[in-house]
Amino acid sequence: MIKTLFISIISSLLMATSAIALDRSASAEGAELYIISPKDGESITGPVTVIFGLKGMGVAPAGTEKENTGHHHLLINTGLPAMDLPVPADDQHKHFGKGQTQTTIELPPGKHTLQLLLGNHLHVPHNPVVASEVIEITVK
Amino acid sequence: MKHTLKIAAAIFVAAGTITACSNNPIEAVKDAVTSDSDSSTALPRSPSADGTRLTILSPKDGDVISGPVTVVFGLEGMGIAPAGFDVPNTGHHHLIINAGLPEMSLPIPADDNYKHFGGGQTETSIELAAGQHTLQLLLGNYLHIPHDPPVASDAITITVK
Repeated sequence: MIKTLFISIISSLLMATSAIALDRSASAEGAELYIISPKDGESITGPVTVIFGLKGMGVAPAGTEKENTGHHHLLINTGLPAMDLPVPADDQHKHFGKGQTQTTIELPPGKHTLQLLLGNHLHVPHNPVVASEVIEITVK
Repeated sequence: MKHTLKIAAAIFVAAGTITACSNNPIEAVKDAVTSDSDSSTALPRSPSADGTRLTILSPKDGDVISGPVTVVFGLEGMGIAPAGFDVPNTGHHHLIINAGLPEMSLPIPADDNYKHFGGGQTETSIELAAGQHTLQLLLGNYLHIPHDPPVASDAITITVK
């Protein structure tokens, strides 16, 4: 009995997980995400203000479901995450779920890569994915 | 009490109209409001966050450019939400072209001088006739009403070749 209950709980959890995994939103055709500032190859003194540029779609806070919108995620010194899961939230994956379109971050001296990734109301990347080019900056 | 209910109902209907993207949501809100003489103060302005700054990132003041003109909106200290979504410390952009700031207690007009970006857009591309033009950004809340205090950019002047 307990075993059956356990299995049923586990399978409901799995089903819930797969429901989230499937809930990608369509991106608008021609949508383009880019980092307005800083520029690729720039050498700058911290703190670094990163300004997010989005063409062809709009911004909506996390949890707000509206077609052709999403919210920004800044990837720092890491590659793109899994596309069928919510974007991780850690030091390398910063969420801007309040609809922010820029941020100021502290980075240690040295080279760093930055990339933007749009996520839907559930933080899952759109389909097709809306991501910026990766830029590399040097913090003095 | 009855009065309050009437206003609430009017705003509810107006908000519904906005969400449904009718032809003229602004007039709908105005009608709803002005049909009740004392209700102008009842229109919900949203507080803006301390230190919020709205700027036109591009073009720059004094630029001389060829059209179409891509205008990039910069917002520091608050976030963007599409029209119709009441989320604290958010708003959506309005681009004012060759006009001054509108009435701060009413929804921003929607016409050729006041462009709404209720889809949460953070940039646009516009066609402007050759000559000088002024551009200014104004943030509006979920009902297109400027925040309190208002969040507006400086006005810039550009010349289209």
